[in-house]
Amino acid sequence: MGNLSGGSFLVALSGIVIVFIMLAVLCIVIPIISKAVQSLQKPSVSQRSSPGPRNVAPAAPAAAPAPAAVTGDVALFDVDEKTAACIMAIVSHETGIPLSELIFKAIKAI
Amino acid sequence: MSDFSFIGTLQKILSESGFAAFAQDPRNLAMILIACVLLYLGIGKKFEPLLLVPIAFGILLCNFPLTGLLNEPMVVDGATKSPGFLWVIYQGVEHAIYPSIIFMGIGAMTDFGPLIARPSSLLLGAAAQFGIFSAFLLALALGFPDFVAAAIGVIGGADGPTAILTASKLAPAYLPAIAVAAYSYMALIPLIQPPLMRLMTTQKEREIKMEQLRIVSKTEKIVFPIAVAIIVIGLLPDTAPLIGMLMLGNLFRECGVTDRLSDTVQNALCNIVTIFLGLSVGCKATADHFLTWETIKIIVLGLLAFMLSTLGGLIFGKIMCKLTGGKVNPLIGSAGVSAVPMAARVAQVEGQKANPANFLLMHAMGPNVAGVIGSAVAAGFMIKVFGG
Repeated sequence: MGNLSGGSFLVALSGIVIVFIMLAVLCIVIPIISKAVQSLQKPSVSQRSSPGPRNVAPAAPAAAPAPAAVTGDVALFDVDEKTAACIMAIVSHETGIPLSELIFKAIKAI
Repeated sequence: MSDFSFIGTLQKILSESGFAAFAQDPRNLAMILIACVLLYLGIGKKFEPLLLVPIAFGILLCNFPLTGLLNEPMVVDGATKSPGFLWVIYQGVEHAIYPSIIFMGIGAMTDFGPLIARPSSLLLGAAAQFGIFSAFLLALALGFPDFVAAAIGVIGGADGPTAILTASKLAPAYLPAIAVAAYSYMALIPLIQPPLMRLMTTQKEREIKMEQLRIVSKTEKIVFPIAVAIIVIGLLPDTAPLIGMLMLGNLFRECGVTDRLSDTVQNALCNIVTIFLGLSVGCKATADHFLTWETIKIIVLGLLAFMLSTLGGLIFGKIMCKLTGGKVNPLIGSAGVSAVPMAARVAQVEGQKANPANFLLMHAMGPNVAGVIGSAVAAGFMIKVFGG
C-alpha cells in the first residue's frame, strides 16, 4: 500500500510518544518551578507586608481616626467603593496590566 | 531608421511579451486564475487575509512568464548576474528565518499563564498532534516519499510557520501546496471543528463548567520561557529555531524590561516578515509544481490531518474528564491543535452553546498554546528523522 511499511508505523508511533514524553516532562517540571518560585516569593512577600502598616501610618497622620473600610484586600481611606473601582480601572488601563494581575493594598484620599 | 516599421515593432513587442508566452504554457494562466480566487478568498471572505493576500499575489507574480523574479544568481563570462527579487526574498524561507521570526511574534503575543496554571493542558496539546502522525501514514499510503509525507503530516499541527519550516527543509517543491492547505484550514477551523466536537462529546460533557484558574505570578511567567527553552532544545536540538524564538518572544513580553522589543516583535517585525513569508510561499507556486495531482492529495490530506488532530485532542479531553471525575470539559481538547487563538475561541463558543454560563476560553488557551509547543516538537522530530 503505497510506501507504507512496518518502519513507517514505528516512526509514527515513536513520534507521538516523543511528543507526549516531551510535554509530559514539561507538565512535571512546570509545577516544580511554580512551587519553587512561590516558596521563594513567600518570604519576600511577608518581609514586604510586615513594614506595610508602618508605611501607611506616617503618610496619613491626620487621617488616622478615619475608619479603613476594607473591600477584599484593599483598604479604603476616605474613599468610597465607586471611586476606588474607577481608580483601579484607570491604573489598569494606564499601565496596560490586566486588573486581575494588579494587587491594590490601599487607596487613600490625600 | 529607414528600416523602422511601426507594425513590425508592435509585433516584436507583442511576440516577446508575457501575454504571448502564455500561449506556450497556458498552465500559467490557470495559476493566475487560482491566484485571483485566493485573493478573493482572502479579501472577500477574509480567510487568513494577512497571509493569503501576499501568498496569492506571490502566485500571481511568479506565474507571469519572462519576469526573471525567481532567477538564481548566475556567473556569466566572469560577471555575476543579479538574482531575481523574489529569489532573494525566498532565502528567508529556504534558511528557516521567517517562520522562526513569526514564532517570536507568536511568543510575544501569547500569554502562557493558563498553561502554567494548569500544566496538564500540555497533555491535551500532545494528544492533538495525533493528526500529524496519522496524516504522515496516510500520505505514505498514497505513495508520497517518506520525507514529503512527513512535511504533509505537519499540516495537522494547525501551525502555519511550523508547516512552512518543515516543508522548506524536507519538501521545498511542495511548500506552496502545504502552506496554502495549512492556512486555508486554519481559517476554516470554526467550520471543521464544531461538528467533530458535537460528535465526540455528550451534551452533559459539553455543559461542564471548569474551576477558575489560579493567578500565575510574574516570576513564574518569566521563568517559564527560559525553562522550556532549556528543556525542549536540550532534548530535541532541531526544535531550536522555533522553540527558541517562541520562548524569546515570550520572555520579551513577560520580563517587563523589554517592552519596546516586545512591541516591535508583536507588530512591526511580525508584519514585515509576514509579507516576506507570504510572498516567498506564493512565489514557489509555479504551474509545474502546483498544478499536479499531488496538490489535490495534499489538500485532502491536510483536511484529514486537521480532523484527526482535533479528534486526538477530544479523545484525550474525554479521558481527562473521566480521570478528574468530570472536572475537565473535553471540548478544550480540541484547542490542542495550535491555531492560536482560533481553536480556543471555537471551544468557548461550543461550550457556551451547551451551557450559556460556561466560560472555557482561558481553560482552552492552555491546550492551545501547548499545541504550539507540541507541533514544534513534532516538526523537530520529523526534521530529525527525515532531514538527512
